Amino acid sequence: MTKEEKKIYVNKKGLRLDGRKVDETRPIKIKAGVLENAKGSCYLEWGQNKVLVSVHGPNEVLPKHMSNPLRAIVKFNYRMAAFSVPDRKNPRPGRRDIEISKVCGEALEKAIFLEKYPNSQIEVWAQILDSNAGSRAAALTAASVALADAGIPMKDLVTAVAVGRIDGKIVLDLNKEEEDAPDAVDMPIALMSNSKEIVLLQMDGLFSKKEWEEAFELAAKGIEEIKKLQVKALKEQFEKTLAQELAEEKKTETKKEETSKKEEKDSKKDSEKEVKTEVH
Amino acid sequence: MKKIVVPGELVTEQRKRSGEHVYTFNGKIYSDVVGMTDNESTTASVVPLKGFYVPKQDDIVVGLIVSELFSGFLVDINSFYFSFLSKERLREPLKRGSIVSVRISRVNELNEADVSDARVFYGGEIFSILPVKVPRVIGKNASMLETLRRGTNSNIVVGRNGWVWAKGGNTSLLSNALKRIENEAHTPNLTNKITEFLLKEKK
Repeated sequence: MTKEEKKIYVNKKGLRLDGRKVDETRPIKIKAGVLENAKGSCYLEWGQNKVLVSVHGPNEVLPKHMSNPLRAIVKFNYRMAAFSVPDRKNPRPGRRDIEISKVCGEALEKAIFLEKYPNSQIEVWAQILDSNAGSRAAALTAASVALADAGIPMKDLVTAVAVGRIDGKIVLDLNKEEEDAPDAVDMPIALMSNSKEIVLLQMDGLFSKKEWEEAFELAAKGIEEIKKLQVKALKEQFEKTLAQELAEEKKTETKKEETSKKEEKDSKKDSEKEVKTEVH
Repeated sequence: MKKIVVPGELVTEQRKRSGEHVYTFNGKIYSDVVGMTDNESTTASVVPLKGFYVPKQDDIVVGLIVSELFSGFLVDINSFYFSFLSKERLREPLKRGSIVSVRISRVNELNEADVSDARVFYGGEIFSILPVKVPRVIGKNASMLETLRRGTNSNIVVGRNGWVWAKGGNTSLLSNALKRIENEAHTPNLTNKITEFLLKEKK
């Protein structure tokens, strides 16, 4: 590649190829409770990534030898749809799918109160419908919303995001184009934000210690923002009806006020009349 | 003031006795489910808005006979496992597909339950609601249940496991009313709203 053709990943204004700032994530949309027949579910759009997660359980473990009489087990299934990438993906779970299922399942195990449901399993199915880098962070973020939606007791919501380095600059939430940069480092990270406990940390490439510290700080900041969206998605289901309720109450109150004002006016008129009659 | 909380959200920083669905971390009390909490109450607890049925002793539940064994039946009670109902002291003939109401006689540490005191229902339908919303369907002193019975003229039995058996009367109206209660369980003054709803739909 000649010098002229070299891509500028972060320009002088501090903007990236798709116009984002260094500490900005792609637009995120979360909706909880989308599937009727699952105990809990969540649909998440994170830039081009689209993830649908359903949660079943806790129920009996099959095969039975996998059950643990002291606590529940989490079965996380990360699957990419055949049409989720530009070339067709073989729908058979490959090395990558199995690895992501394992690390994401272990991340969720840290958050759930597993000892409450011994000898049982909690199944999480994460289906990636469309992907463009950062799909494991998207799947994990959606899965924790789906678990909360199923009513499974958890310490905290798990929130994930990727940080990385391109052109020597630390950036938040890399997309596919940035991930393919020549010196790119990609580090997905998941936290429980109350206790700042790290539940998932993987790294592709190498960071210096100073860079790692900067990256972690950036990720923690991004995670705070994403967690707000998760909380909003969970509360939205109930607050809509509550907001309607309040609006109705307000309407009736204003009506009451109007009627009471009218009554007051009427009574005032009456009293005036009375006074007038007295004068006469 | 009542407010909605999510897992990991702060319920209170005060020192309070902790009730259900909360945990303490660094001296503060946090919620572990999506639910409602009242910060004026003396105990810190969360009433879940989403959840599943965990069997407890002496609960009355509606169940479905799944299969027959040598000395009893397996009953689906909408929980982790099928429960065992002994044939001993069982008077009515049961078969696969029978609907029964049973009492949970014993639960072990793995949440496996044994059931007894079966009452058989002939005919009717089963409606499913979220188990955490059963107290709302029954209401204070069974006020909501009475409203539903009067409004739909159905025979209704509500199981603690979230299954509702109903026979006769206007069951499609009952189904709609149950859905409405489920969706608006967290709002105040629900019984009056359902009374209005049933009257309106009847016409």
